[in-house]
Amino acid sequence: MDFALTERDQMLQRSIREFAEKEIPPRMEKMEETGEFPLDLMKGLADMGILGVITPRDYGGAGLGHLARILVLEQLGRVCPAMPMSLQVHHMCTYALDVFGNEEQKKNYLPSLTNGETLGVVAVTEPSGGSDVANMKTTARREGDKYILNGRKCFITNAHVSDTWVVPAMTGEGRKGMSAFIVEKNFPGAKTGHVEDKVGLRGANTGELVFQDCEVPAENLIGGEGNGMAVALGTIGNCGRPGMACVGLGILNAVIEEAVKFATERELYGKPISNLQAIQWSISEIYSDLHIARLLAYRAGWMLDNNIPADTACTMAKQWICEAAARSARKAVEIHGSYGILREYPIQRLMRDALVSVPAGGTAEIAKLVLSRVAIKEYQ
Amino acid sequence: MRIIVCIKPVPDPKYANRITLDERTKTMVRHDVPTVINPLDKHALEASIALRDRFGGDVTVFSMAPENCIPVLREALAMGADHLIVLSDRRFAGSDTLATASIIAAAVRTTGPFDLLLCGDETTDSGTAQVSPQIAEFLGVPNLMHVSAIDASEDGFFRVRSRFETGHVIAELKAPVVLSVIKELNEPRYITLMNILDAEDKDVRILSADDMILKEPWIGLEGSPTQIIDLTSPERKARAEMLGGSAREQAQALADRLCRMGFYHG
Amino acid sequence: MDKKIPESKLWVFIEQRRGIIADVGLEIMGKALALVPGTGWKVGAVLVGHSMAKQADMLLSYGVDEVLLADDPLLEEYCNGTYVKVLERAITSFQPEAFIIGATAMGTDLGPRLAARLRTGLSAHSIDLELNDRGELIAVIPWSGGNYLGRIYCPRTRPQMVSVNPGVFDMPESGQAKGFIIPIDAIVSEGDRSYHIVKTYQEEAKEGDLESAEVVVVGGYGIGGKEHWHYVEELAALFTGAVGASRPPADEGWADHDQMIGQSGRTVYPKLYIGIGISGHMHHIVGIKNTELKVAINQDPSAAIFDHCDLGLVGDCKDIIPALIESLKEHK
Repeated sequence: MDFALTERDQMLQRSIREFAEKEIPPRMEKMEETGEFPLDLMKGLADMGILGVITPRDYGGAGLGHLARILVLEQLGRVCPAMPMSLQVHHMCTYALDVFGNEEQKKNYLPSLTNGETLGVVAVTEPSGGSDVANMKTTARREGDKYILNGRKCFITNAHVSDTWVVPAMTGEGRKGMSAFIVEKNFPGAKTGHVEDKVGLRGANTGELVFQDCEVPAENLIGGEGNGMAVALGTIGNCGRPGMACVGLGILNAVIEEAVKFATERELYGKPISNLQAIQWSISEIYSDLHIARLLAYRAGWMLDNNIPADTACTMAKQWICEAAARSARKAVEIHGSYGILREYPIQRLMRDALVSVPAGGTAEIAKLVLSRVAIKEYQ
Repeated sequence: MRIIVCIKPVPDPKYANRITLDERTKTMVRHDVPTVINPLDKHALEASIALRDRFGGDVTVFSMAPENCIPVLREALAMGADHLIVLSDRRFAGSDTLATASIIAAAVRTTGPFDLLLCGDETTDSGTAQVSPQIAEFLGVPNLMHVSAIDASEDGFFRVRSRFETGHVIAELKAPVVLSVIKELNEPRYITLMNILDAEDKDVRILSADDMILKEPWIGLEGSPTQIIDLTSPERKARAEMLGGSAREQAQALADRLCRMGFYHG
Repeated sequence: MDKKIPESKLWVFIEQRRGIIADVGLEIMGKALALVPGTGWKVGAVLVGHSMAKQADMLLSYGVDEVLLADDPLLEEYCNGTYVKVLERAITSFQPEAFIIGATAMGTDLGPRLAARLRTGLSAHSIDLELNDRGELIAVIPWSGGNYLGRIYCPRTRPQMVSVNPGVFDMPESGQAKGFIIPIDAIVSEGDRSYHIVKTYQEEAKEGDLESAEVVVVGGYGIGGKEHWHYVEELAALFTGAVGASRPPADEGWADHDQMIGQSGRTVYPKLYIGIGISGHMHHIVGIKNTELKVAINQDPSAAIFDHCDLGLVGDCKDIIPALIESLKEHK
């Protein structure tokens, strides 16, 4: 078992890290204040290959694999966790089109999703519950050469900053009654709704998509009627969950750096507080959390790249890493003492970011349901 | 236009404080500090790629470095350079600037004539700022340092801006020339994910001492005219040097000091 | 001017631009004069240019043994091609043991090329010199960002070349003029000019932002009030540097919060830091770790800032800053 990253992977880490460290910090204050995604960075993200990291080069992407994607998102998340939040949902859109779409659909939509023109979205969650996917209420009714969609999607990342939406909707009853459509922002009857005001991951725009007799051309049906569940679950499983894991992974990177920086600079009793055992224990726990998180995330990426079924690995990675990020961030806030709850220090933002990452893109509860089923089956 | 860029792998300057001195062996210990391409060299690389894209031709990168630095040096190819040539030989170890320049010049001669050879003014580790003029001397071509702007014409003339403390000169030189550059020259481009993949097809050659004609027998520790007697940790001052006297006298003393040290030019 | 053969063994390059002698040459010359007693060596000041008679006399007034003068119209403007040729010729003819040059823009361009032509060693950017009784010149050189010091010498080749940082040595005192001006061969041709200078500009420097500024002037609570903040700004402007603040002035509104330097503010990487009225709490200090020279001005001689700086001035900023600005302006 070779745990070493290849030379290519290491160079990739270095180049994204440099880009992230220079381009993101000047925009972070505004992102935090307004809750808006920095659209002026779109060209830079496109040129770097970040938007199309897993999209084949034929369609303008970088043509890299899932492990590479994770390394890229980790370096971005280390500087600003809201970035992998937005970008991983965008990748879900490119993934859905690449894996489930036909040639026509890929040619029509992938180039603009990789060249910086637009972000993408996969809009699953509804007010009826994101965890209750089969109980989806949005409907799609065939009328001639169109489908008419009615319904509403909420908690959708990139809702207000994307032009291309992959939207699951019910064309029939039950699990086999779900179909997936490509909807453009400008289609008649499509619009964005409420913008959410989140306490964390604020640079990732989150809001509602509303469909009122929205007209979608029939050629925008992905895969065929009844294929929607496969599209939704496949995309969430192989792309969404590892992507969310990267949000937590980015946070953990930032948290250990902030914690050690503060602990080695802050002096009490004539010495840095990093000399105190209680602080040392917290730091060691955060450190271990980071390294375990990396192993889980990288393993999931490796399995996906090697066509090994990775559903369990991805679920575990998302759930464990985001919870680890939340508990590590909290410990780091406490290492900062009273400074930790001041807005001028970044550690409180990292804690808020981590709290938001826990339910986003799949609640811990659903993850644990999935994992317990697997565990019980395996050890029965 | 045939452009050569000389680059050096150095310990990442962000972690310079982690490097310590082994008092026993009198050598610096790097403690896992990662290696990067010397920051000023990236400005030289950026200029070379921009000139090649404008005038056609190619960019060859030379680096005297151990083979284990090649993964980092490949970044030069990812930035857009066409060829990488690494000069690696145990006999090169311990070379001072004169020996290093001699080796690099000999290697450059093996690849034929060039129009422009670019370097960064100095490296972050040794900071001697000597290698580029010495390469120029061994190659017998004109050189200019502290270059903050480069323009070229089709007929082989370069017009450059070279800075000094209180101003700059605009100078014209005819190819071939050696120019060493400062930060103000340009903003090095980012390496994109696509660049990294495309660079994997580019060639890397390794040259040893046997692959070049070393005109002067100046290589390695024995071939280096300057030698280190010792390395020590300086005494850590406990407290500032207090300038005494009246307010006016202290101000005068400080002004003198700042001017002489070159912080103030007037 | 006598037509003597130079006897000096320790040569110091006297840099000049447009007839103005750079301080660094005089500083090194002073140090050289202090090093040679007991060695039997004489010091030669090497001056290259055109119409330098007055400057040569001025050099003699410091008590140097010889001024080696290369005077030619083609040497009026510095060009490494012509200067290296003249110096190499002189060194080869008269075989000095050592040749010292200032580590300036000119010196770092000239010294290395000359050393390569002579196939000799050059120890660069030294901050101290030693001369032992074996005639070995030892250069003390900062290593690894100044965290360590190396002592370097040149045992086998001659001349032993060293470059010295400006401002390291004191300016010499005028002494008794006892030496001679000795003309040296200054003949060069147009073809020796390795490049053609189109124009020379004296520059207006631009003000930078905090992170890229070479000079940062920071005000602390000791400034006393918004009405006195202009001292900080005026001093910064004189250096075309950046203005920073510690936490209390930022909180009080004398400066913007984004000018705050410290643990939760910005970190700076200047060459020169001047802290005025700063107490020296860790919160601020960690923002200025990466500075070449740190200067502190504070009314309280026991302020903690003096434990973290290189130079300290005790007094009221309202007295010191105007005097400092005036002294600096008088310098050029």
